Formats: sequence, C-alpha cells, structure tokens
Amino acid sequence: MSAAHSQNLNVLLQEIEGIHLTHHNPRRLRADIAAEALPALLALLRGRASYVHLSAISCVDWIEENQFELVYHLWSYETSVLISAHIRIPREPGIYLSVFDIYTPAAFFERDIHEMFGVYFEGSPDMSKFILTEWNGPPPMRKDFNSEKWVMETFSWQEYHPDWLKDLEEQGGGIVSTPESIRMDNK
Amino acid sequence: MRPENYQAVNHPPSNEYELNFGPNHPGIEGNYALKVKLQGDTVVEARADAGYLHRGFEKLMEDRLWIQNISLVPRICVPDPVPMEVCYSLAVEELAGLELPERAQWLRVLQLELSRIAAHLFYFGGHAATTGMYTPMYWGVADRDLLLDLFEELTGGRVYSIYNMPGGVRQDIPRGFLQRLSDTLDYIEGRLKDYDNLFFTNQIFVKRAKGIGIISQEQALEWSVTGPNLRACGLEFDVRRDDPYLIYDQLKFDIPTEHGGDAWARTLVRRLEMVESISIIRQVIKALPDIKGPVRTPIPNPLAWRVPAGDSYARVESSKGELAYYVVSNGGDKPYRVHIRGPSAMHAVQVLEKLAVGCRVEDVAQTMFSLDACPPEVDR
Amino acid sequence: MSNTDLSNIEVNQKPVAKRSNPFANVFNELVSFCRSRSMFMLHYCTGCGAIELPPAMTSRFDMERLGIQPMVTPRQADILLITGYVSIKTLKRVILTYEQMGAPKYVIGICSCTVNGGMYWQSYATAKKLDEYIPVDLYIAGCMPRPEAVIEGLQQLMAKIKTDEANSWKKYYEHYDYYLGNQQHLFGNNWQTPTDIIGEAKTYQLEGPNTLGEHTKILESVQRPLEPLEMKL
Repeated sequence: MSAAHSQNLNVLLQEIEGIHLTHHNPRRLRADIAAEALPALLALLRGRASYVHLSAISCVDWIEENQFELVYHLWSYETSVLISAHIRIPREPGIYLSVFDIYTPAAFFERDIHEMFGVYFEGSPDMSKFILTEWNGPPPMRKDFNSEKWVMETFSWQEYHPDWLKDLEEQGGGIVSTPESIRMDNK
Repeated sequence: MRPENYQAVNHPPSNEYELNFGPNHPGIEGNYALKVKLQGDTVVEARADAGYLHRGFEKLMEDRLWIQNISLVPRICVPDPVPMEVCYSLAVEELAGLELPERAQWLRVLQLELSRIAAHLFYFGGHAATTGMYTPMYWGVADRDLLLDLFEELTGGRVYSIYNMPGGVRQDIPRGFLQRLSDTLDYIEGRLKDYDNLFFTNQIFVKRAKGIGIISQEQALEWSVTGPNLRACGLEFDVRRDDPYLIYDQLKFDIPTEHGGDAWARTLVRRLEMVESISIIRQVIKALPDIKGPVRTPIPNPLAWRVPAGDSYARVESSKGELAYYVVSNGGDKPYRVHIRGPSAMHAVQVLEKLAVGCRVEDVAQTMFSLDACPPEVDR
Repeated sequence: MSNTDLSNIEVNQKPVAKRSNPFANVFNELVSFCRSRSMFMLHYCTGCGAIELPPAMTSRFDMERLGIQPMVTPRQADILLITGYVSIKTLKRVILTYEQMGAPKYVIGICSCTVNGGMYWQSYATAKKLDEYIPVDLYIAGCMPRPEAVIEGLQQLMAKIKTDEANSWKKYYEHYDYYLGNQQHLFGNNWQTPTDIIGEAKTYQLEGPNTLGEHTKILESVQRPLEPLEMKL
C-alpha cells in the first residue's frame, strides 16, 4: 500500500464519527464503529475509496455481553488493503439493516446469518431459509443451542460388542470409559 | 352475470414449466439442486437449493480443540482440501503469534500447488462430461490419481492429507520424493498437449462452451466473483500475488487472464494456471534442498493449548477462488467462532442463479461446472 | 424411537424345498449369478466418499470390468451407494430414492459416517445410523475408503448376491413399521412418501407380522392422496 493511498483513506475515514482504527499489519485494517454509522462507512468505502469487493460478513454471538458482533470484510483491488468493520448490535431483538443496496453479495451472507443466528436484516431481498429448510429448531449457531445435547436426545448409536471384547470381559477386563461417558464428559 | 366476488384466475402460461434439477441428477456437481423454470428449452428463472451437504462445521469447530479442527477442515471442500487446512492454520498462527519455519512455508506451497493441479484436472473431467465428452474425464481423473499417489507418499492420505497444522507441517518429505514429483510433473506437462488436442481446442467443446454463461467484468466485481472465474473476465487479480501469504512473494509466476468471461475462457484460464503451478512447484523443488531447519514450531501442549483472545482473517487462493477463514478466540482451548468464506458460496448461488437465466437447459450443467462450484463449500 | 433391535432378527427365508431333482434350483442360481454380474449403481453422491468413485469408475481402477456401471435413474438402478454422511435433508431424498428403486435392490454404506455418524457425531445436521432408516447390506469402513476398498466391497456384495444372501430389501418390507417409525421420529409424524410400500409388500408376498404396526397406523391417518408437487420459484 502506498503512503498516498493510506493518507487518503485515513482522511476519508475521519468523516465517520466515532471510528476507531487499528492496524494489525500493513494489509489489514480493523475499524470499530457504532452500528448506526456502518451504512455510511460502507457507502463511502465503496463509492469513494475503491472498496468494491465484499469478501464476507461474519457474525459472532457474544452471549455473555448479550450482543451480536457483525464483521464486514472489504477488499480493495487497488490499494490491496482489507478493512474489517466491526459493529455490535443487541442480541434481542437482533435486527439490523441490510447493506444489499451497497454490496450485492451481502444478500447471501445476510440470508446465511439469518438462518444460522436468527438476526433479521431489514431490506434484504430474501430472508427465506436456504440451507436449513428441513430444520425446525432454534437457529443452530447461537451459543445457547447445544448441538451435542440435541444429538443425544434425537439419535441412538450402533452397538459395538465384538468377540474379542467378550473374551476380555470374561477375564475381568473390558472398556473402562464407554463412548457415552466420554461424549457427555466435556459438557 | 358474474357474482360480486368474482376474480379471474390467473393460470400460468401453459408453455412454462418447472423442473427440479438435482440433487439426484448426473448433470449437477455433487449433492446440490437447482429449481429452474423453463420456457421451451430456455431457462427463465433459476433458484439454488443447497443444504444437502450441511454438516454444521462452524458449530462443530466450536466444540473441538484448536488442533482437533485440523482433521475437520479438509472435509469442507472435497476436491481441493489442502487450502482449507492451510488457511485455517494461517489464521490460528496469526492469532497465536506462532512463527512459521521457512521450510514449512515452502512445503505448504508445494502442497497447495499440487492440490491446485489435482483440482483442475478433476474439474476438466467433470466439465468435459457435461458436454458429452467422456474421454477427457477418464484421462483427467486417471492423471489426478498420480498426484494423489504423491500426496499419499508425502502425507499418508490420498484425499484428506491432514498434513498442515498450526505451527508448520507434520513431517519432512520422504527420501527421493522430489525426484518422483519432478517425474510426475514432466509427465503431466507432456499430457497437456494431448489435452489441448482432445479438449481445449477441440471444436466440439469450443462450440459448446463459447458464449455460455458470459460474465462481464462489472458484473464479476458486483457479484464478488473471485479466482479463475474473475481472471476469465480480464481482471488480473490473485490473492497469491496481491495479498501474499507464505513465500509466494519470493516466487515468479504469471497470472493468466482471458477476456471472454464465458465457459470457454474460464476453462482456458485453468488450463494456463496448471502450467503456472507446475512452474511454481519446479521452483520449490529447486529451492527446497538448500532450505534447512525444522518443519514445525512446537505447540506447548496441544490438548491444553490456549490461543490468546482476538480475531484474524486469513485468505488463501484456492483452486475455486478466494477462500477465507475468520477465526475468533476468547482465550480458550477451543475456537469461539470460525466463519468460513468459501468461494463457491458466491459462485454456486448468486452467480449461477443469474447466469442460468437465458441458458438452454442443456447448458445449465455446463455453466455450473465451468464456475467450478463446490457444493460442500456452500453448505459447510 | 421404536425399541426393537433389528440386528438379531433374521429374515424369514422361505424353506427351500428339498427335491431329488438336482436341477430344481438351477434356474434360481442362474438368476442370482446373472444379477451379481450386471449391477447398475445409482449415480447419487450423498457425501464426501463420492470423490473416490470417479477414480474407481475410470481408467485406473475400472469398475466396469466387474460389470458395475453408474446409472442415472433410480428406477433402473440396483445398488444405492450411500457415500458418506447423510444430512437430514439428504436422508429424505435417499429414502424417496430407495423406495423408487425396483427390487431386488442393495444398499452399501461407504465411510464411517454411515455406521455411527463418524466424525460428525456431534452435528445437528446429519443422521447417525443409516441402518435405522433403510436396511444396509454392506458397510465399507474408512474415512474415506480407497477405490480398492470400494471395489473389494462391491465384490463381496457380488458374492453375497450370488449365494442369495443379500436380502436386506426384503427386510424393509417385512419390518416396514420399524423403519417408518424411525423416519417419523426424525421427520415428524406427517412424513409420507409417494410409494405404497405396504401394497408392494403384499404384491411381493413379503408382508410379515411386523410390516404393519403403530407407525403405519399413524401413516394411514395422515396419508393424503398424491398431489402434484408445488414448487416455489
């Protein structure tokens, strides 16, 4: 990244109120901003700073703070810098604005986050189910959904009792810790 | 005299019908479905239907140790598993501040490029089969097997190598491996001429593939198309060069581009990329004997390894496009959150839905294969 | 989930009539032999094990020399290869596919995931024991099994067909209630397929004491006549 680009970018980013920038390394820039300021930041980055590529939108469930963190990863083909814009939204009711009008690929990521986390994006073109069409439970990626517990309640397991094990058991040996005990141990 | 509440019933035009394309369909790649609306032979609307391969990787990874996840990640993209391991390892290394030994970096590049050639050979096979040419499929899959043999020798696994781990690679190369690798590369390079005659410049294929699924450069940028599909639209971008990881900045390689943006251009880009990958591996073969040192930075105790809190976003150029891992740690012995950005998530859903419109129904499969979409990556 | 354990139940074979004529069974043996030598494998990749099928089918390992070929439609296929984990969404399609296949049909579970969930045992999205939902003739262990192992497994299946031991498809008719119960447990009580399994069981004269039961009663109560599938675009 050339110095001129970096300077221009910094000037531009100062237009957003309350932005906090951290440089991890020369090609990674972290921006923490308030949730309300994000659409303005994205519009600015796309419109005036050549950040045309939305690499991904990630969602993190911070259950202890009762917040969802949304991370928008943006890449510029010209300056070769990846900006990660971090925002936090309250976990309840979990509604945020869609950025589909700024970045078209956001539609896929928002749909994905909606079915995995239950965050609703207002203005997104399609919020119907995509991957989990046959799933009736809660959004599975939320931290309060325990996948292992659900599996234990729903499925049964193949029994494994071969002859060599029977021989061992006759001599007083056998399996000390069964798969069932190990499975439930780490909870 | 009509009743007051009369409403005319709108019947759909009788020449339109709907077709379930997949999941159990030989023209579709993997276990994936498209619902298409047809008018005669022309597709007027298409909707992707994924989730047949959903395993909930991101949830599973939160329940397992940092080191256990290494065996989980290659399963996300079956034809091209190595970039998955490398990308996850890179993200964890960045979080943990682990320094990667130089020899490990070269070995990773070796694997990545081998995997790219294998994935492209597999891709030609599939693409050729959708146009009714089965010989390239038989050849491509058989030649890919030679590379899988090399993988088996290097790592012990044919498909899933589980060779990379945070901190480096598991072991050094076996004795005589570089010679055998070099022989295989010579063989494959020689075969490429036969492939040209049989497939790439064969009029049967060229006439089928030209003008199918055209993406313009503006559309490609708007839809987040990455990788070879983007380079087929004329944009010279490669994560290996523009956001370099490992030792790619020390290697010399070209970035092949095409300008058609259609299925044929996408195929040609991959054909040229194989040549580049072969040249990269030759550079590695040349340099590797002079690079001494360990292949792994030891991790304290893998079973109780706590990675410092933070987040990292690692990107790798896989054979399908830009692959990225967003890894968050809260200082525990398991990842707090892993988000996988698979390149096919864009290609197989949004791009394919748009490209399929206007295609004839027999070209839908070809469009999907030419994008090299990998369904398990979409579903995760 | 119904508690009957099917692993110990034997399919009640029809007693072979002992006759003095040594040629009495020749025709049956000939049929079994022919069946074992021409197998069409359904071209349905349910999971990651499918990546080892192209090498097994093409030039290097060449399955076709054993008389095994991929087939594109379930109605003309003999073998259903379950290549790896089945997610719940796929499992529905697998059952629909399996019921559409004409008897005799054989199911091979490839990879560890079909046995016990494999490395996805914690996952909310995949079904664990394939044997609970459709009867399996043969498992091929490994994650994932090599093409040689796949071919070896198919050869074992051929041997089983030749000696008339691969009878799992009869088990499906005779214990339909058990399989249907497990399917209902996973998919909900209004689960139904377009295929009339009970009617087929009667036609094949394979209706046993366990074909009908509490779960088929539920099926009867929710069953509605077939309608054209509604598709949304």
